[in-house]
Amino acid sequence: MADDVRRWSDELARDPASLVFLPLGETLRRQGQLALALKIAMRGLERHSHNADAHDLLARIAVDRGELQRAFDEWDVVLRLTPEHIGALKGMAFVRFQQGNAEEAEQFLRRAALRGGDPEVEAALANMRGAGRGPREALAFESGSAGAAENGAHPASRAPHPAPNDARALFADILGDHEQTALLLDGQGLVLAGIYLDGNGIDVGDEVGAELSGVTDAARRASRHLDIGDWRSIVLETEVAVVTMAPSVNDGLLLVAASKATPLGLVRRVLERCLERARQWLEEAR
Amino acid sequence: MKSPFASILDALTRQRGVRASLVVDENDGIVVDSNLQIGQDGDRVAALAASLYRKARLSARAARLGTATFMQLEAQRGRICAAGRNDLVLVVVADPAANIGMIRVEMIKAAGGLP
Repeated sequence: MADDVRRWSDELARDPASLVFLPLGETLRRQGQLALALKIAMRGLERHSHNADAHDLLARIAVDRGELQRAFDEWDVVLRLTPEHIGALKGMAFVRFQQGNAEEAEQFLRRAALRGGDPEVEAALANMRGAGRGPREALAFESGSAGAAENGAHPASRAPHPAPNDARALFADILGDHEQTALLLDGQGLVLAGIYLDGNGIDVGDEVGAELSGVTDAARRASRHLDIGDWRSIVLETEVAVVTMAPSVNDGLLLVAASKATPLGLVRRVLERCLERARQWLEEAR
Repeated sequence: MKSPFASILDALTRQRGVRASLVVDENDGIVVDSNLQIGQDGDRVAALAASLYRKARLSARAARLGTATFMQLEAQRGRICAAGRNDLVLVVVADPAANIGMIRVEMIKAAGGLP
């Protein structure tokens, strides 16, 4: 195991975008090195913000650290990316039970059972129906037993499969696992589709959308008064990111953000593809 | 007497498709120095571009994206580019066909030299 940790660490040092942060973080978690596991998971999420396994890992680390609500939020993100993720449903059931909400815990377990479930889910449901015990015994997240079942596979074999009807995953296949994200906003700056995760894996789409959509008013005013026609796009480069924005249908706004390391031309191409996807999606929604 | 920004503005104006280059005070949108083609309203460009850049910079910071280094607005019949440092903003208005890659490089380099 020590050899594995060393090998994965070396690989991650050589290639910071490598997915070996997943088994490395999980191994460190099981060894009880939670601070290090958290650091590895967070760095991985910075580069793979749409990777459901990365959020799943962060959730399990959070449980081990006693941060139940954070774990719940992470599993919520996992479900948005991979709605059939049974591990996330089991995790959310566990958190809700620990928080004293047995009814909601049971609802999550039922959802897991509907998606195929597994013996742990059935046992937990039986426990809840019977002696009123919780899912804790069956879903032993603290010991990592559920995690072991979920993470034994190579990360690449569990790539996210966003559901077509999940608005938050609308651009996931265009964005891939790169350091970029996209949001479709309505005329009021409210998020219609896409997801924007901060360094902690929290969805801050509403906040970012509200802040950046205000730029479009200034853009509209400047282009009108300078007589250069309707504005087509804005590119904003910062110390850490490249943000591109373009008007979408019905006074909406599409925003694509990528890490500073992403070539500008690539970001613009992604923006164009996302614009087309948004247009089709809004047409279908009518 | 030439202003300390004259050489910066001259270099930018030499780029193909550049209609106007200005150094503007970001806070009040007042022109500090400019190099304009005939027909360009420097005061209007300065006020609008500085306002746009300021809004973009503050929004980026509020969205936790860090300090803005360069902004470009593309419209049907022209482009506005801005790069700032401290309270000064370097602004360029260019044709749609301008070589924006070269202008961007020159502006980022020049903005680094702003006091």
